[in-house]
Amino acid sequence: MFELKPMLSALWRNKVAALLIAVQLALTLAIVGNASVIVDDRQDRIARPTGMAVEDIVSVTFHPTNSDFDLSGAVQADLDMIRRIPGVINATHTSHIPISGSGSSSDFYREPNQNSLDGETANIYYTGPEFIEALGIKLIAGRNFTPAEMKIFNPDDHYTSPVTIVTQQFADVMFPDGNALGQFLYTGKNDPIEIVGIVERHLGAWVTWPLAGNVAFYPALMDISFGRYVIRAEPGKRDQVLKQVEEKLAQRDSQRVIHIKTLSEEFDEGYAKDNLMVKVLSAVIAMLTFIIALGIVGLTFFWINQRRKQIGVRRALGATRANISRYFLLENCLIAGTGIAIGMAAAQIGNHFMVSNFSQPALPLSVMLACSLILLAVSLAAALVPALRAANISPATATRSV
Amino acid sequence: MFGYYISLALRSLRGTPVLSALMVAAIAVGVGASMTVLTLNYMMSQNALAHKDQVLYAVQLDSWDPNSSYRGDRNPTRMPWELTYQDTQVLLRSDIPSRQVAMHRWGATVTQDDSELRPFIGQVRVTTRDFFALFDVSFLYGGTWEKNSDNNSIQQVVITQRTNEKLFGGENSVGRTINLNGNPFTVIGVIENWNPVPKVHDLNNGAFNDSEALYIPFGLHRKLGIYSWGNTNSWKHEKELEGRGYEGFLQSEMVWIQYWVELESDEQKQRYEDFLSGYIREQKAQGRFERPLKFGLTRPSEWLVVNQVLRDDNRILGWLSLAFLLVCVVNAVALLLAKFLRKAPEAGVRRALGASRKSIFTQHLIESACIGIIGGLLGILLSTLGLVAVKSLAMGFADRIAHMDWVMMFAAVGLAVVASLLAGIYPAWRISHTNPSIYLKTQ
Repeated sequence: MFELKPMLSALWRNKVAALLIAVQLALTLAIVGNASVIVDDRQDRIARPTGMAVEDIVSVTFHPTNSDFDLSGAVQADLDMIRRIPGVINATHTSHIPISGSGSSSDFYREPNQNSLDGETANIYYTGPEFIEALGIKLIAGRNFTPAEMKIFNPDDHYTSPVTIVTQQFADVMFPDGNALGQFLYTGKNDPIEIVGIVERHLGAWVTWPLAGNVAFYPALMDISFGRYVIRAEPGKRDQVLKQVEEKLAQRDSQRVIHIKTLSEEFDEGYAKDNLMVKVLSAVIAMLTFIIALGIVGLTFFWINQRRKQIGVRRALGATRANISRYFLLENCLIAGTGIAIGMAAAQIGNHFMVSNFSQPALPLSVMLACSLILLAVSLAAALVPALRAANISPATATRSV
Repeated sequence: MFGYYISLALRSLRGTPVLSALMVAAIAVGVGASMTVLTLNYMMSQNALAHKDQVLYAVQLDSWDPNSSYRGDRNPTRMPWELTYQDTQVLLRSDIPSRQVAMHRWGATVTQDDSELRPFIGQVRVTTRDFFALFDVSFLYGGTWEKNSDNNSIQQVVITQRTNEKLFGGENSVGRTINLNGNPFTVIGVIENWNPVPKVHDLNNGAFNDSEALYIPFGLHRKLGIYSWGNTNSWKHEKELEGRGYEGFLQSEMVWIQYWVELESDEQKQRYEDFLSGYIREQKAQGRFERPLKFGLTRPSEWLVVNQVLRDDNRILGWLSLAFLLVCVVNAVALLLAKFLRKAPEAGVRRALGASRKSIFTQHLIESACIGIIGGLLGILLSTLGLVAVKSLAMGFADRIAHMDWVMMFAAVGLAVVASLLAGIYPAWRISHTNPSIYLKTQ
C-alpha cells in the first residue's frame, strides 16, 4: 500500500541528493535544538520578577561642582521637594540605583568574628525608610526602618548599622529554617545586625550575577561626593514626573550635574546582552528553517522534473493523483525522518559541548522532540507544493517519446 | 578560456533564475549571518597594544585571602586583578622597569570659571607620569607631569583633544585652568584622541567603553580623598585601621589599582621577577601575603584572553554561525547538483564535441564561484544590516565594535567563494563524469 520497496530503490538511485537533504535537516536540528534551549534560558532570566515597580521608577544621580558641598542637607531638601511633586508616590536616597550594574556587596555570617570561609554574599544598599514605597516592593514580615535609625556616616568610618531589612531569598540563604526575622547577622566584625524586616523580592545590582536577589538594606546615608535617588511615580505618570524632577532639581541648585534615567532603561541595559542573544539566536533559527525549506522545495521540484516520465507512466497505468502526491510526501517523510534521527544524536553531542565548554543549560528531551516535530512539519510543508504539482503531470507525458 | 567560462556561467545562471536565486540567497544568508558574528568576535579580539606586546606586562600580586577564592571565583588560586595602594607605593619606587604605570578610573564634575559651559561629569584616569609613554599616547600640546607629581599633590591635568575642543575650542590650552569637583587644575598637556577597542589597559571597567577624557597625577589621593570609580574589592576586616579615615583605606588590603610595567629585555624581566618575589617574601615575614608566593606578569595579548573579553556567548554564537554556514553550503551542494544535472545534456554535447572532463569540471566550478561572489557581495550587505541590528539591540556596548573593516569585507567575499567552491566540487565532478552518449541519443 505504501509502495515502500520501489520508493527505497528509487531513493537508493538518488542517494546523494537524499543524503544531502537528510544532512541539512540533521545539522539544522542540532543547531535549532541547542539555540532554543539557550533562548529559553535567557528568556526565563529576563522574565524573572524584579520585585520592584520598574515601569514607574525614575532614578537620579547628582554630582555637586563645588568641593565643600553639604550632601545630607541637599538630600533632605531635594527629597522634601520631590515628594511634593504631583504624581510622586514616594522618593528616597539610595547608595546605588537597583539593576543598574553599579552596586556593592558584602559577606555575611551567622556568628561574629568569622573569616571568609562560610560567608554568604549579598548586595547592600544604604537607603531611607521610604525605600519600600519608592521601589514598590512588599514588606512581608517584620517592620520598616524608623526615622530614628537613620544615620549619616563617612565611608571611612567603618559604620555598621544595628538593623537591616533583607530579601526573602537572602533570609532563606542565611536561615534555611525560615526563622530569619529577629536573628542577627555579622559582617566579620563583632557588631550584630538585627534582621527587623523581610521584603518579598529585590533583584539587586547585577542582573546576571548568580546570586542576584540576595540583598540587604541599611537605614543610612553615606556622606560621599555624590548622591542618588529613586522616585516612584503613580502608574502612567513616570515621564511627566521625570520632567518635573529634572526642572525642579535644576531650579533648586543649578550648580550640579544631574543624570536622570528611568529604571526601565536600566533594566533594558542590564539585560541587553541576554536580549541580544535571544534575538540573534531566534533570527538564526528562523533563517535556518527558511533556508532548508527553500532547499527542500528546490530539490523536490528538480527530482520530480527528472521523473516526469515515470510519473506519467504511473498515471497512465492507473495511479490516481493522490497516489502520486502521497508517494512524494512519503518519500520526503522517509528522508526527513532519517535526517531528524541523525540530528537528535548531533544535537545531543552539540549540547554536550555547550554544557561542558560554555556552561549552558542541558537540552531537555521535550525541547528536542518539539524541535523535531516542527522541522518535520516544515519539511512536509515544503514538499507539499511540488508533490501536488507532480500530481498534475498528465499521463500523456508518458506516451510522447518512449 | 576563463572569460568564456564566466560568460557561460552567467548565461547559465540567467537560464535558471529561480534555482540560481535560491543558491545565491543560501550563500548570502549563510555568509551574512556568520560574518555578522565573526566581525563582532574579530573586533572584540583586537589588541591595541600588539606593537608593544613583547615589552608590556600587567602586574598582579596575590595578596588575597588565604581562606577563600577571589570574589567567589571558581578557580580558587585566581589572583585579584588589581593591587592594593600600599603595594603600588613600593612598586613605584623600583627603578627596574623602563616605565611603569599605577592607575584607576575616577570621575569628577568639570567646570570653568567665568564660562557659559554647562558643568559635566568628566571621566578621569588617576595615573602616573609614564602612562602616556608606556601606552604610546602622543601629545598635541604640552606634555606629561613631572615625576614628583606622582607622590605630591600637584593639581595638574592632561586632557584629550575632544575635551580640549569642548572646553577651549581646540586651541592650545596649556596653562589654562579647569575645576574638578570645584578644585582648580592646571592643564599641562593635550593628547590626541586615544580610544583603543577593546580597552586593553583597563579591562575591568567595561572593555568596550570609551577611554577617559582627563588624566590626573597619582599623588592626589590624600588631598582629594579619591575613591576609585572602578572595582574596589576587600576581603579582610582590619580593626587597627578603624578610625583612621581615608588613610586607613589607603593602608588597607583592599585592591583597586591597575598596574603595568614596561620591561624591554629578558634580563630586565628576570630582575623584576626577582624584585617582586623578594618584596612578597619580605611582606610575608610581616604577616601579609598569606597565600603561596605568586605574582603575575601578563602580556597584553594574554591579558585580553584571561580577562575573557571575548565572552562565552560570543564563542557560542561563533560556533553556531559556522554551523549555520555549513548548512547553507550543504544546501548549495544539493541545489547545484539539481541545477547541473538538469544541464547534463548540454555538457554531454560539449563532451562529444571534444571538451575534456577537466574543462567541464572547471567550467562548472567557475559557475559555482560566480554564485559565491554574488552571494558574498549580498552577504556583506546582510551582515552590515545584521551589525546595525546588533548595535541597536546591544544598547551601547557594541557601538564601537559593530562595524566591518576592509579585512572583514574581503573575508566575507573570500568565505563566500570558498563555501561555494566547496559546494560546487561534487556536483561539478558528477557532471564531468556523466556519459555523453546517453544525452546524444535522445536529442
